[in-house]
Amino acid sequence: MSTCSDCKSFFPREDEPGKGDCVRRVVDPRQAYYTTRPKNPEEDASGCGEFRKR
Amino acid sequence: MTAEPAKLDVSLQEHEEKQEWWWIAEKKRSKRLDYLRKAVWKKGALGGNYAPGIKVDLEGPKLFTDMWKWWKFDPIIMRRAKALAHVFDNIPIFITDHSQLVGYWGSAPHTISWRVDGASIVNEELYNEPGIMPEPEEESLRKVAEINDYWAGQTAVDKVARILDPEDAVKFLSGAIGWGAPTSAYGYSGKNYEYYLKGERGFEDIIADIEDHIAEAEEKTIGVPGPDILHIYDRIQNWEAMILVLEAAIRFAKRYARLARTMAEHLETDEKRKEELLRIAETCERVPAKAPRNLQESFQMDLLIQTMSRFEASEGAWPARPDYYHGPFYEKDVLQDKSLTEEEATDLIGEFMIRAYEVGGFGPRWAREGMQGITGTWVWTIGGVKPDGSDACNALTTAFLRTARLIRVSNPTFAFRWHPKVSDEVMRECFECIRHGLGYPSFRNDPILVANCMNWHGHPVEEARTWVHQACMSPCPTTKNGVQPFRMASATANCAKMVEYALHNGYDHVVGMQMGPQTGDARTFTDFEQLFDAWTQQMQWLLSLLVRTVNLGRYKDPEFYGRPFLSGITERAVERGIDAVSPEGERGNCWITAFTWVENADSLAAVKKLVFDDKKYTMDQLITALETNWDGYEQMRLDFVNKAPKWGNDDDYVDDIMLRCLRTMAKHSKVMRCTSNNTWPAAPQNVSGNIHYSSVVGALPNGRRLGDALYDGGISPGPGLDKKGPTAVLKSCGKIDHVADGRAFLLNQRLSPTQMAGEKGYQLWRAYMRTWADLGLDHIQFNMVSDKTLRAAQKDPEKYQEVIVRVAGYSAHFVDISRKTQDNIIQRTIQGI
Amino acid sequence: MKCPECSYEAPVPEFRYLYNVRIDAPLTLRQCPQCQAWLSVDELAGESTGKVEAGDAPWGKSAGIERDLEEAV
Ligand code: SF4
Ligand SMILES: [Zn+2]
Repeated sequence: MSTCSDCKSFFPREDEPGKGDCVRRVVDPRQAYYTTRPKNPEEDASGCGEFRKR
Repeated sequence: MTAEPAKLDVSLQEHEEKQEWWWIAEKKRSKRLDYLRKAVWKKGALGGNYAPGIKVDLEGPKLFTDMWKWWKFDPIIMRRAKALAHVFDNIPIFITDHSQLVGYWGSAPHTISWRVDGASIVNEELYNEPGIMPEPEEESLRKVAEINDYWAGQTAVDKVARILDPEDAVKFLSGAIGWGAPTSAYGYSGKNYEYYLKGERGFEDIIADIEDHIAEAEEKTIGVPGPDILHIYDRIQNWEAMILVLEAAIRFAKRYARLARTMAEHLETDEKRKEELLRIAETCERVPAKAPRNLQESFQMDLLIQTMSRFEASEGAWPARPDYYHGPFYEKDVLQDKSLTEEEATDLIGEFMIRAYEVGGFGPRWAREGMQGITGTWVWTIGGVKPDGSDACNALTTAFLRTARLIRVSNPTFAFRWHPKVSDEVMRECFECIRHGLGYPSFRNDPILVANCMNWHGHPVEEARTWVHQACMSPCPTTKNGVQPFRMASATANCAKMVEYALHNGYDHVVGMQMGPQTGDARTFTDFEQLFDAWTQQMQWLLSLLVRTVNLGRYKDPEFYGRPFLSGITERAVERGIDAVSPEGERGNCWITAFTWVENADSLAAVKKLVFDDKKYTMDQLITALETNWDGYEQMRLDFVNKAPKWGNDDDYVDDIMLRCLRTMAKHSKVMRCTSNNTWPAAPQNVSGNIHYSSVVGALPNGRRLGDALYDGGISPGPGLDKKGPTAVLKSCGKIDHVADGRAFLLNQRLSPTQMAGEKGYQLWRAYMRTWADLGLDHIQFNMVSDKTLRAAQKDPEKYQEVIVRVAGYSAHFVDISRKTQDNIIQRTIQGI
Repeated sequence: MKCPECSYEAPVPEFRYLYNVRIDAPLTLRQCPQCQAWLSVDELAGESTGKVEAGDAPWGKSAGIERDLEEAV
């Protein structure tokens, strides 16, 4: 099973072991930006349409 | 520095001749500002509907509700603190390309936030809003239903409504006599800038202070038993809630820092952008935890605090004084250290305004119609004086004015505190903004308003001089005891109903119910005094009902809602361990927003003249004509318009009636008391209530029909009815005592772009402004866009997206407001001065 | 009154009243109940003066200096 930690968008937090963030680029009709939300590295990635293998 | 544009190339000159200022702005601003300005998802509804692509944010509401449910045994302030902290820790955040300032109230740039715990009636509106559900729509609707089911009957407004007098509640909720919600869930929260925005402290300092207070309090709770220690237990809870949410706020900023660092180190290839991202990271690691050291940190701190306050409550206003509080950093960075160039600073200033412009929460249709084209009143105060009375204008004042012309946003707008020591350079910059058709800054007469603050609320002069606009018009100090933490919009009165009810024995023919007291059948009135007595009783009844509701809402708010974050940035609350909304230690700064006011004077004068003095018509004929909405009585209606004196023409006949109405109301303003036992003065102005109430106010003796827009200003004459020229308008308005007759008086005037062109135009305007100041008016604002441009924009809105007009207490893009509002603006008299 | 667009005929009050932004003038906007067109109406004469489209100015120029200048020419 792939987890978030296998994904290119996952960035572990240096100062908080066991925690990380999913950082993705979004281009919408008006602007481009990077967005982040907290993610557990062990979270199952199989349901995520944005998964990109490291 | 000069206000005159530098050498223009030919095409710029052409645009200038055609007064197409928006093209000039686009060509002159930096690439970064151009990108950021165009990147904004406009949240203000277009004549009532949200623009395509705008979606309601469901991430925040879900996070908030989940955590709220979890902590069900906590006191309300702690529960909110924990739920809010959960949102700060988990909501998706983003950093837009080219941006240098961060913070947004929502999970993505195109989202509008939804306050789930404010009012069930607002929550229900979500189902009636086509197109704003995020995809997949079905799943979103399920989420909304789940959240709504939980909050139904549990929101702040539900709780207040249950304890209101039932009759008051029905009349208040009818929407006929006022609007708003008696809760801080949708408040206009004043900010205690003197406490947290002077570069003297950060959240870590506040937390350390709170910890000391807790330690001291805990000593008492293990001391001598007695009644005097009992209140301390609640205070400790309040303090702990403040710490919890302030710590979460620091973590929220650090999430931005971490994102910026990740981008710089792993994702960005451009070296210059990497540097910018690292600066964002350093900035957000610094503020709001610690006091800011430079302009970027100062702006960032302010912006994050504004953003986080909105996660706590849907704040409908944005009281601010950016030149005063950020100015010292601008002068240090740009003029002394030269660590920032003027252009770099302009980018920051412009982005600071853009970040405010993009903010918007979900509002029900009626609220959006009352505030067409924008999402709240972000009226930023600039200029003015320092607490010692010296001129407070600085290099950032002019920098903001110049940048406003490059950015051309309709929200925030500026309101300029004029006083006799303001330099010509600053006045020229203000004038350039008006000439560029922005409709702002509006002008506020500072000496008058400082005196007004002292007169009505007893603010000491040094505190009065810190005043900012708490919403559109009403001043509020930013000091510990002067700042007003809570002013929701429900003390907003639809004043035209006063005269309407006086004529119909308190009965409302539009909503079909007995509203006001039965003051007698007006058909039987035999002299003007009887009518005026009836009017007085209706006025007192209407204002008292609204004020009772607000007072109760405020009194119960710490129990029904709770503001841990606002409390943590409010010195009075930090010191005492109270919810900032608690009136304890607050001086009081309430006001009634008096919508649709001038119709009272014009209507009463018309009845006096044509019925009681000239005896041309009888009361019976008049009431019959009004009941048919003047249908079939056109000649009679025109007589009531044209054969009776109208406000704004320097005619004592009607002006005396205006003064009598104002003074009768001012007397009642002193009878009604707020939760701090202070007064309730009225501030006549309209936001865009003149349009909102056009279908609520029945026919009136000033000649209006049900459906017609009401007059646009608070003391502006009716469109086209000011026939004696601009000085007569000022003279009429100058008869009002702007210190003692009320809290603030909004005057809209239209000027001709042709006449105002060049140096000659500026000099004419300066002379006009001198008269304005000499007559002691407290406010004036201008539209300077020609009929021709506005008509062209109606015909071809796509080509005129960027035309801005002053609507009432705010500006909006002309194409975003309804046809009726547009026509109303076009038909205002263009005064030749 | 007769609708100049679709010729529907009815007493004036049957045409839905919209508004009049210059209450000192007898000119109002009403809507035809049949074809929904916005019409300008002379309330004294009880007659429509025509259909109103976006950007049309049934009340003419706003009062004040620009109109005064135009009239002086
Ligand atoms: S949530 Fe999806 S995109 Fe994000 S890290 Fe996990 S697998 Fe990758
Ligand atoms: Zn028709």
